[in-house]
Amino acid sequence: MRFTKWRKSRPLGGSLMTIISGLMILWVPLNLYLSTFLPGSIAIIGLLFGGVLTLIGIVALFFPHASKILGIFTIFLSILSVIGALGGFLFGTLFGIIGGALLMAWRLTPVRVKVSPPTDMEKSAHTF
Amino acid sequence: MEYSIQPVEGMTSKKVFWSALGTGILVLALLLVSFGISGVAYAVPIAGVGDFYVEFDKLEGNGYTFYPKMGETSSEDLAPQGTNLIETLTINHLQLYKDFKVGGNWIRVKITASKPVQITGLQHDAGLIEADAKFQNLALKEYHSDDWQKQFQQTSSKITLEHAKLKTHYLFQKTINMNGMRLTVEKINKK
Repeated sequence: MRFTKWRKSRPLGGSLMTIISGLMILWVPLNLYLSTFLPGSIAIIGLLFGGVLTLIGIVALFFPHASKILGIFTIFLSILSVIGALGGFLFGTLFGIIGGALLMAWRLTPVRVKVSPPTDMEKSAHTF
Repeated sequence: MEYSIQPVEGMTSKKVFWSALGTGILVLALLLVSFGISGVAYAVPIAGVGDFYVEFDKLEGNGYTFYPKMGETSSEDLAPQGTNLIETLTINHLQLYKDFKVGGNWIRVKITASKPVQITGLQHDAGLIEADAKFQNLALKEYHSDDWQKQFQQTSSKITLEHAKLKTHYLFQKTINMNGMRLTVEKINKK
């Protein structure tokens, strides 16, 4: 019950998608760096984009009110990550676009609460 | 005085979601199309494929370095190979291919470029190089080092290879410009 309440107060789906996409984008340049250390390589951009996307995913969990702007950044960065990291072989980019769109579409709305009609005792209490 | 607490919860607006998703995919498509037009792909690793062949009619490159190393192939964790680093190069009639055994059949995935291919920042790990080679300012050097991979190095300012066949384990390019690229997958007869 507590988890459901926590989940409903933040964009969990969008955040998780963004984190997964960030990790996928990180995977390509990390692999590249471990096998060949090429100083000054353009792959460092991929490392940066992947890291920032993962961070955005985590931040969206803790600052749900900023989800709209975080969503825009997620889509922008995941598309740009095609340069330098191949966008996690494009899967990372696609996950990032879906995650970013989910973050953008998330908003807080008032909930309809079922209210039971006042009992006779409550009604009589009001009359006094 | 009465206070009322209005409970709120997260909702996903379908309209915003689909329009954001559509915009994102459209921009991605535009980016990919613009890559297709200019023919440039950045930081392309063809690693982990292992044991594929590179053939070409002519290669002209500047800033060449070669040193031996032990590296991974698709069949072994460690196999002796040589690393070739070339700063800038142009290749005529490039063919890259890899054969896969699927069931009882052999399938060849082949990438060819009909026009000259320009590459910068090439790293190429090869197990075998067969070619007619020409070097300028060729230097073979030995170094005193505990690491055997650093004990020997071959450098030259200019390299020309003709009618080459290279058994390749790892290929990395900083930028590659492949005009007239063609990818084919075909069944071949091989034992």
